[in-house]
Amino acid sequence: MHDVYINGFGAFFPGPPVGNDEMETYLGRIGGKPSRYRPIVLRNNKIKTRHYALDENGVAQHSNASMAAAAISAAVDSSELLLRDVTYLATATTLGDVLLPGLASQVHAELDLGPIEIASFQSVCTSSLMALKSAYAQIRIGEHRAATVSGSEFASRYFRPGFYEHAGDGATAEPPFEAEFLRFTLSDGAGAVVLEPAPNARHRSLKIHWIDIRSFADRFLPSMIAGGAYDGERLRFWGDYGSPASAARAGALMLTQDIARMRSMLPVWVSHFVELVERGRIVIDEIDHVCCHYSSQSLRDETMKLLTAAGALIPPEKWFSNLSTRGNVGAASIFVLLEELVRVRPLEKGQKILCNVPESGRALNGLMLLEVA
Amino acid sequence: MNGTATSRAAQSVMRRLLMVWVDFETSLDTAPLIDKLRRGKFRLDDYRTLLLNHRQQVIEGSRWIARAASSITNEFAAQRSVFLQHALTEHRDYTMLEADFVSVGGDLSHMLSFEKNVGTEALHAFMFQRATEPNPFDLLGAMFIIEGVGNKKAAVWGRLIAEQLALDERQVSFLLYHGENDAGHLAGFEETLGSGILELPGMADRIVKTSAVVARLYRLQLEELTPA
Repeated sequence: MHDVYINGFGAFFPGPPVGNDEMETYLGRIGGKPSRYRPIVLRNNKIKTRHYALDENGVAQHSNASMAAAAISAAVDSSELLLRDVTYLATATTLGDVLLPGLASQVHAELDLGPIEIASFQSVCTSSLMALKSAYAQIRIGEHRAATVSGSEFASRYFRPGFYEHAGDGATAEPPFEAEFLRFTLSDGAGAVVLEPAPNARHRSLKIHWIDIRSFADRFLPSMIAGGAYDGERLRFWGDYGSPASAARAGALMLTQDIARMRSMLPVWVSHFVELVERGRIVIDEIDHVCCHYSSQSLRDETMKLLTAAGALIPPEKWFSNLSTRGNVGAASIFVLLEELVRVRPLEKGQKILCNVPESGRALNGLMLLEVA
Repeated sequence: MNGTATSRAAQSVMRRLLMVWVDFETSLDTAPLIDKLRRGKFRLDDYRTLLLNHRQQVIEGSRWIARAASSITNEFAAQRSVFLQHALTEHRDYTMLEADFVSVGGDLSHMLSFEKNVGTEALHAFMFQRATEPNPFDLLGAMFIIEGVGNKKAAVWGRLIAEQLALDERQVSFLLYHGENDAGHLAGFEETLGSGILELPGMADRIVKTSAVVARLYRLQLEELTPA
């Protein structure tokens, strides 16, 4: 078994940073009216700027795949490898550009690379750690000697008014809060890393100690959903409506989030963390930096309360976040966090970095321990 | 054991109890009547069934705490006082529950002659067996679960019930009352954990084990509800 190191870090953010007051210029106004919910959502998530792959007229300037490819190129550039050394590519995203084929095929096509092995991972935020774990395992067993992993999101295209105005009876019906919440939370971007079985000769590397992913879908209904709508108690899938147009009218194409259900998932995420503390996988006093993906500041505060009760709080000054400037970029989040961490924080050899990527989609949590090498 | 080691042991117990609790809490949501409540399908009969089946649990609760207190030896006199105090504050709680039951058309004589359900029998047989052992501080694990239901779930259920059945707050007073008495409970619990009882051999593991057994049996009493 080989040790596995992250030897390259890349990020790609489309366009200029977009401030809170300009969001609807890019996304558009539903029914021509400014959103009632925008201030409430922003007050909770405390995001100040984010990026959109749309221009000011709402026209796409990139694709999900092209952003992933740009982040991969940046990651390879920052490593001691050339792109052609890479033989394994894993991608993570919430929604690709097309329903099929998989995003990894599209990203591979965007890169100037010959035939390689690929894997497409689709979930929400934690798909990033699924993809990373697959690459980690590939390097660890010696199947590949250089792998790249991307996380990328193009969420804003689904937040254009046309995605909401068909829903319900009237063309100008205000979308529900569950839909508006995500509209002002998620944004676009991509991050990537490069993995090898040995550390860089000249640059900083991060050794992967372990990646631990746990699904709690056995006990929760979906909290985030796109491609289905509740018909009473029954979840009806978009393909079962007879036509895409009738699915849209039923609201089955909107991306929605049940906030109360998401909050009820906090204890199981914390319990996963606490279990690893009990098992000795996480030693609180040994952690020097925490990269925790969270969708809003208010959730972070609640998480800290629970951790304090369990005697498992890592001091807040060790937490690193770029949520307020880069926005919530879902599956790209952990990669853009790491890219910024190694760039802006002075890291010392031997320091430990704990990464946490919860996913509210249907209650999933991922934890990862890294060591500066 | 020095102070730091004690608090580290106490924190470890807290973490393990939290894991048991989270598993238990999420399993409650699928217990038959709670599932109905969450889906907005709760009926008045369901509320009466819940209260009927819960009364014995409340009554037995202060009895086993009193029994446990009498099993605590003199070197732990301070902790014995805590247990006695606890039994005293809870031993008349069932009167609130009875008033709620009558206020929604329940027949009090039916309630007074109502037998424990299968799960309640199992839960309390276990509790009394533990409470008879010398220094049964593992029952703190049981309290963590049972009080957790009171503090974290009862008020939520109470509000949902009032809303679905269009009841007055006074008709769900027992459930709401328990939710409001959260403050200070957890702090007091941690204090008892850190008071030296974890120096008893095997006590930390036994507390966690007892909490897991109680969580399972508590779930069982909600599975085995005898209809009103």
